[in-house]
Amino acid sequence: MMKNIRFSRKQLCIPYALFLICFVVLPLAVIVYYAFTDGSGRFTLANLLNFFTNGNTIGTLCYSLVIAAVVTLVCLLVAYPVAYVLARSGLKRGPVILMLFILPMWINFTLRVTALKEILTVLEGNLSLHPFLNTVIAMTYDYLPFMILPLYTTLLQLDESLLEAAADLGAGPAAVFSRVTLPLSMPGIISGITMTFLPAMTNYVILDMIYNSTYIMGSLIGSYFNIYDWNNGSMISLILFGVICIVTLITGRGDQNNAENRGAIL
Amino acid sequence: MTTEKKTEKDFLMSGRRGRRKTALSARAAGALAAALVLAVGPVPAVCSGNMALTASAASGTEKVTLRIANWEEYIDEGGWDEEEAIDLDDENSTVILGENSMIEDFEDWYLENYGVEVNVEYSTFGSNEDLYNQLTLGNDFDLVCPSEYMFMKLIAENRLQPLSDSFFDEDTESNYYVRGVSDYIRNIFDTNTINGEPWSRYAAGYMWGTTGIVYNPEEISEEEASHWAILADPKYKGQVTIKDNVRDSYFAALGILNEEELLDPETLNAEDRLERITEAMNRTDEETVAAAEEILKQMKENAYSFESDSGKADMVTGKVLANYQWSGDAVYTLDQAEIDDYYLAYAVPEESTNIWFDGWVMLKDGIAGDAAKQQAAEAFINFMSRPDNVVRNMYYIGYTSVIAGGDSDIIYAYADWCYGAEEDTEDTIEYPVGFFFSGDNADPDYVITAEPDQVNRQLFAQYPPQDVLERAVVMQYFDQENNQRINQMWVNVRCFNLASLSWQDWAKIAAGVAIVLIAAGVFLKRDDIFRKR
Amino acid sequence: MMKKIISYSWLALVALFMYVPVLILAFYSFTDSTTIGAVRGFSLHNYVTLFTTEELRDMIVGTLLLALGASLIATVLGTVGAIGAFYSKPATRRIVETANQVPVVNADVVTAFSICILLIVVFGIEKNTFIPLVIGHVVLCAPFVYLAVMPRLKQMDNGLYEAALDLGATPFQALYKIVIPQIVPGIVSGFMLSVTLSLDDYFISTYTKPATFDTISTYVVNATRGAQTEIKTALWALSTVIFLVVILVVVIMNLASFGAAKKQEVSAYDNREKD
Repeated sequence: MMKNIRFSRKQLCIPYALFLICFVVLPLAVIVYYAFTDGSGRFTLANLLNFFTNGNTIGTLCYSLVIAAVVTLVCLLVAYPVAYVLARSGLKRGPVILMLFILPMWINFTLRVTALKEILTVLEGNLSLHPFLNTVIAMTYDYLPFMILPLYTTLLQLDESLLEAAADLGAGPAAVFSRVTLPLSMPGIISGITMTFLPAMTNYVILDMIYNSTYIMGSLIGSYFNIYDWNNGSMISLILFGVICIVTLITGRGDQNNAENRGAIL
Repeated sequence: MTTEKKTEKDFLMSGRRGRRKTALSARAAGALAAALVLAVGPVPAVCSGNMALTASAASGTEKVTLRIANWEEYIDEGGWDEEEAIDLDDENSTVILGENSMIEDFEDWYLENYGVEVNVEYSTFGSNEDLYNQLTLGNDFDLVCPSEYMFMKLIAENRLQPLSDSFFDEDTESNYYVRGVSDYIRNIFDTNTINGEPWSRYAAGYMWGTTGIVYNPEEISEEEASHWAILADPKYKGQVTIKDNVRDSYFAALGILNEEELLDPETLNAEDRLERITEAMNRTDEETVAAAEEILKQMKENAYSFESDSGKADMVTGKVLANYQWSGDAVYTLDQAEIDDYYLAYAVPEESTNIWFDGWVMLKDGIAGDAAKQQAAEAFINFMSRPDNVVRNMYYIGYTSVIAGGDSDIIYAYADWCYGAEEDTEDTIEYPVGFFFSGDNADPDYVITAEPDQVNRQLFAQYPPQDVLERAVVMQYFDQENNQRINQMWVNVRCFNLASLSWQDWAKIAAGVAIVLIAAGVFLKRDDIFRKR
Repeated sequence: MMKKIISYSWLALVALFMYVPVLILAFYSFTDSTTIGAVRGFSLHNYVTLFTTEELRDMIVGTLLLALGASLIATVLGTVGAIGAFYSKPATRRIVETANQVPVVNADVVTAFSICILLIVVFGIEKNTFIPLVIGHVVLCAPFVYLAVMPRLKQMDNGLYEAALDLGATPFQALYKIVIPQIVPGIVSGFMLSVTLSLDDYFISTYTKPATFDTISTYVVNATRGAQTEIKTALWALSTVIFLVVILVVVIMNLASFGAAKKQEVSAYDNREKD
């Protein structure tokens, strides 16, 4: 019966394209609409100005960026050696040990962060004295696996012969690392950065749990949502989306292949 | 009052809670399955539509469905152990035991008294904003229980159905609410208005209380805890918690801002003291809001946390010394700490306290002119106000009901059962609660003989004395413009304040950025730097 | 040798950092203390509560049902979409790819917020119907399925499909018999990734779920904030159970001594779990 229907493989794209239009593109359009209108639906730039003329909200944008940058950097510094050892030091049970680093993720982060909070309370005495430090620790703890995994995959796929060739040509271990290994693991690093940087700017649940009473971008969206102010909430969402685009552009340098690389890494 | 008001009398364990929710979540699972099916395609959707039809046909048409939303853990869910029975010392020696959940009991009672089967769909919310969001974003309810400012907002938006005249008929035996509500509360509900209409036209009270400070009396003196300024006192940096909602925090900030004015002997002795402080604590002009913002920023620097619920645990475990709290949760906190032989106290600031109410209101959209539904909703309010049910709820959730009991002395007997000293106790005090039960604080029939420490502990929190009520202010609902200003102020407070950074902080940031930039630069130019050697 | 010691102790240190909280939860799940820090006696009551409280059980079942259902829909959509996009013109494919990236890189809060606004405020769909929740989870998962399937399509031997057509198979048969089997590993890992994402989600659920329904994560956040001590401690038991189950899986996988190729697949799957 299929013979009678003209079937083309391309048409398979249609349902998914429709889905993306309805639930990805359209929501974005709605966000844009709300961001640039006021409560009664008239066009306005007030929401944008509200955000960028208020020292407090700009402060929070900076604060989120700093938190995200520090968390990402710490994650990278902690995770790279782990991924490197797991992938390249010839551990027979590398994948199994890797599993050990992913395992905690199966337990909801809220539960793990509660436990971490208690540990930090014991160590520091009073949690409220180091809100920034605690936030960085908690987020690093939560996002470490997101960083280890892509790094591990890229490092595992690294062509051994390239490293040998570099060594044969007289490069020392440091040079091999900085000139061959590191550049070749760049896709993994970028993937890891996008996976940690963005959530770190928005995951306000972690801040709430660790008693950091300063808002980050995610809390702003939540608070505007709570007071039924969808216009300002949409504007913050849009600004975040803009930040995300910029980060993707910087890390990916607009590379067309980036998406595909990421696909392979994921 | 804006956030969770959950208390547990028996916090350790027993299978009390969650029965009601169970039935609901089982239904929810069914609906979830249906939604999944719906999402798959139109053909199964037809099937699930049929399923829904069959289901509603089976349930019969006579039945009234009442959709109620209440705070989490804010109603007796039954399942008490035998030994939990409350033996009251009233004239009939009533014994009170919550066997079934209040909801089930209501369904039975309604069928018996009105001959109509009622099916209660009960769900809960965690904050007033949460409820409002549910109402706005596609959840329909018939009867809900928000705090006073939220029902004021709903009245202002013309979303509420007025209570019927028959509800206020004191001659009807089963009108437990009007027959039993405390005159003190009735007066507040009659005299507070929004758009010229009194609250009582739309709302029937449920629970009420004050706001104040739970503190550790060994570290903090009663005098210190009796001023809002403790929340911003650098002496207790990192030792106090503040409420994570704008209204409560703003109120505390106003208390600090207006401290001099409120404690001025001239104000204190004024005839119209309550009016004056009510005015002062409801100011929302730009200047006041800006000043409050600065105070709140100090409070933020000073606080251990902005909390909705975790403050109770942090207080009990001794992580903080003072905790901005609602009276009902204060009772819970004190009870909890007592289990570990840790004695806390509750103080109500001298400047002013925010007296709050949660009340039952019917929604226009939900009732939709259905008289049978409205009758069931009003009957539910009355059932909840029946003195024995009042005691069950109060015992279960730990808050104070607005019902004094009217002809029945059960509720006073319960207060006495809770706080009356043992007969052989030598050192006792006389604690009058007549203002609430009979409208006259000097009424000798309503004096609890309690242990002395109850003057700043649970009894004090549940039934505030006359002098507290003289400074108990109703915080009005802010209109659109003021609301926006105050919400923006709150966002400003919670956001990161760049101006708060010292030059050392800036130096650290600059150093950090420089290190990263140099590292990146070296890495990018490593060929030029290292190869040339 | 020194290098080895240093690198292994780094591994151990990081593992310690990640495990101490989990182990502390596990330890306290066997006591009857209500807060971490205060040790009371040994007790199994958390486990009794976990397995006997209907409310908890329903919540766990609901979460699993949602995860499996949404993942199934996402897998079908994402796979079909990837196949379609793979054979489409490069321009079309680039557009689909870009749209596909949006939920992947966007913050969960923003995705959740925008879907909530669209479905509930604009379209007026009631949360009670569960449709917003399911759609939200599908939006969260489907792009990752797409990303998981696409590389498999690229590695596929294209000649086989042509050969099947030449031998008289209909395009549909060719697709079903030739293409799908070759990309099964991608589909499987996409599905597994979807389940993990859906289970781990908090933000999408909290913005789109009906008032009467809770997923594990929204429940945990409410329970840790609230005073529902009994449930909170039962969740410690739940995390211990999850932990043990996963340990068991790892041990079995290890013992089953997969072939080298298989191992590659396992690790490929692992990588997809990371979000």
